[in-house]
Amino acid sequence: MSVISATDAVKIYESGDKTLRALDGVSVDVNAGEFASVVGPSGSGKSTLLNLLGLLDEPSEGSVTVDGTALSTLSKRERTDLRRETVGFIFQSFYLVPTLTARQNVAVPGLVRDDRSDLQARADELLERVGLGDRLDHYPNELSGGQKQRVAVARSLINDPDILLADEPTGNLDQDTGAQVLDVFGEITDEGVAILTVTHDEQVTDFADRTIRLVDGRLDDD
Amino acid sequence: MIDSPLARFSPFLAFARNNLSRARARTILAMAGITIGVVAIASLGMFGATLEQSFLDTSDDAIRTVAVGPGEDSEFGLLHREQVAEIERYAGNGDVYTLTRGRGEVTGLQETTSASLVSLSDPEVFVTAESGQIPQNWRSGVAIGNELAETLGVQPGDSVQVDGESRRVVAVLAESSRASFVSTGDAVVLPPGEFGDGASQVLIRGETPQQAFAISDRIDENLNSDRRTRYSVFDAESALEQFNQQIGLIRTFLLAVGGISLLVASVSILNVMLMSTIERKEEIGVLRAVGYHRLDIVKLMLYEAALLGVVGSIFGVLISVGLGMVMNAQLLSDPLAFSGQALQYTVLGFLFGTGASFLSGLYPAWKAANARPVEALRD
Ligand SMILES: Nc1ncnc2c1ncn2[C@@H]1O[C@H](COP(=O)(O)OP(=O)(O)OP(=O)(O)O)[C@@H](O)[C@H]1O
Ligand SMILES: [Mg+2]
Repeated sequence: MSVISATDAVKIYESGDKTLRALDGVSVDVNAGEFASVVGPSGSGKSTLLNLLGLLDEPSEGSVTVDGTALSTLSKRERTDLRRETVGFIFQSFYLVPTLTARQNVAVPGLVRDDRSDLQARADELLERVGLGDRLDHYPNELSGGQKQRVAVARSLINDPDILLADEPTGNLDQDTGAQVLDVFGEITDEGVAILTVTHDEQVTDFADRTIRLVDGRLDDD
Repeated sequence: MIDSPLARFSPFLAFARNNLSRARARTILAMAGITIGVVAIASLGMFGATLEQSFLDTSDDAIRTVAVGPGEDSEFGLLHREQVAEIERYAGNGDVYTLTRGRGEVTGLQETTSASLVSLSDPEVFVTAESGQIPQNWRSGVAIGNELAETLGVQPGDSVQVDGESRRVVAVLAESSRASFVSTGDAVVLPPGEFGDGASQVLIRGETPQQAFAISDRIDENLNSDRRTRYSVFDAESALEQFNQQIGLIRTFLLAVGGISLLVASVSILNVMLMSTIERKEEIGVLRAVGYHRLDIVKLMLYEAALLGVVGSIFGVLISVGLGMVMNAQLLSDPLAFSGQALQYTVLGFLFGTGASFLSGLYPAWKAANARPVEALRD
C-alpha cells in the first residue's frame, strides 16, 4: 500500500528570466515499511523531490497524494496538519535546539499537539529505542554526531509518522556511526514506517530495499 | 521544558523562556532597555505628581484664602467695621480675619531698623512661635519674625523699642511658609487691634480652594460694579490655574522623555528579535516542517518578546517605586506617601513597557512565520 506518491511531478524554478526544470515528470510510490534510497548527481533534483513528498513544497505540474488524498485539495493549514501526522524529517545537519536536552528536543514537535499527556514518556521511550536511554538529559553539545542524528531520528518519530524523509542522514557521520543510524532505520521499517532517504553513501544504498536514481530531474531506470 | 511546572501550564511559554536563555547577555541588555524606559516613564511621571502634591501640601492654606482690600475706586483708605461687616455678609461659611499693616522703627539690643508692623485678628491662624509663646489673650508685648529677631539680636524676654515705645518680646516666630499667607520674617507682630484705626485687608479662609474662589467671586459681584472697583479682591485661582498649566507642561515633557527612551528600547527589542530569527532560521524551518503552523511560530516569538517586556517592566516598576520612595521622603517627608496618580504612572509604565516590547515582536514574528521552510532548510 502506498503511503505517499508523486505522479508526473514537475518542479520549475524561475529565477530572473531563466526557468529551470528541477524535476521533469517524476513518478514515485513509497509503500508502508519499505526503505527506499534516492541517488543521483548533485543538482539532479533529489532534495526537490523530497520536499514535494514531504509536503513542504508544491509541484508545478503533476500531483502528490498522501493516503489517497491529493495535496492540491488541501489548504496550507490542512497540509501542515497532515505533514505533522504523516511525515517525519531528518536532516544532514541535525538541527537540534542547542539549549534543549535530548528528551526536550525529541518532544518539541509534540508541543503543538492537543494531547500532550504522554509526551515525555513517549520521548524517553523513543530515545531508549534509538539506543540513547542513558543520554536523556544530555545537551546536543554533549553528544557525538551519531548520537545527535539518533536524537533527530527519535524526534522525527514523536508524532507517529507513516514515513520518514531523510536528506543525507549519514552525510556528516563516519562509517561506524552511520551504521548505527542505519540499524535504527532497519528497526523502524520493521514496524511499518516507510523511509525515503537521499544519499551519496553506498552503505545506505546497500541497505535499502530499493534505489531510485535521478538524473537531470528524470528517473533513470536501468 | 516538557516537565517543569511552567511547561505544564504553557509549554510554549517554557519554550520561549528557553530560547531567551540562549543569548543571555543579549536578552539581559534588551530587558535593561525596557527597564530604563519603564523607569523613565514611571518615575518621571511620579516626579511630576509628587511635585504637584508637595506644592499643594505646602500652599494648601494660601490657596483657600481670599484677601480683600480697598479698591482703586474706594471711598475709604482702610477697612472699618462697616466695610468688614459688608464683606463678611458675602463670606458664607468662610472664616473672616483682619490684617493691619504698617511700618515703624524698631530698636533692639544692637541695632535700629525699619520693619513692617502687622496686627492680626487671630494671630495663631497665621503664625507659629519658634521660641517663646503667644499668650491666649494677647494684650501686650510683641512677636518678632525670625529674620528680624536675628538682625536685632533679641530673644523672647528681651525688650525692643517699637516707634519709641518699649515692648517685651513674647515670641520669635517660625519661618513663615508659603502656606501661612502672611509673611512675617522681617515683621513685628502686634496684639490684635493694637494699631491703626482700621484693617488693611480682610482675609477669608474657605474649607476648600473651590469654596474660596466662590467667595471671592461673590464678593466681587456684589460689592463691585462694572464702573467702580470698591474692593480689590484677590484669590489664588489664577495662580493655581497657572500652576496646573505649568505642571501639566512639565508632566508632558517628562512623559515625552520617558516615551522616547521606551521607543529606543523597543527598537533594541526589534533588533534582538530580528537577529534571533535570522540565527534560528533553520530551526524555525524545522519547527514548520514538523507541523508547527505559522501561527504557532508567531505565538512563540511573541511570547519571547512579551517575556522580555514583562520581566524588564517588572524590574522597571520595582526601581521606580524605590525612586518614588526617595522622592516622597524628600518632597513629602513620608516615603510611602504615594498618591493615586503616582501609582497610576507605574501602571502606565508597566503597560507601555510590555506593550512596546510586544509590538516590537510583531514584525520579527511575522517575518519568522512567513519564511518558507524549504528555503530555510536548503543547506
Ligand atoms: N529555490 C530554488 N530556486 C532556483 N533553483 C533551485 C531552487 N532549489 C533548487 N534549485 C535548483 O534545482 C536543481 C535541483 O536542486 P536540488 O537541491 O533538488 O538538487 P540535489 O539533487 O538535491 O543536489 P545535491 O546533491 O547537491 O543536494 C538545482 O539545479 C538547483 O540549483
Ligand atoms: Mg540536496
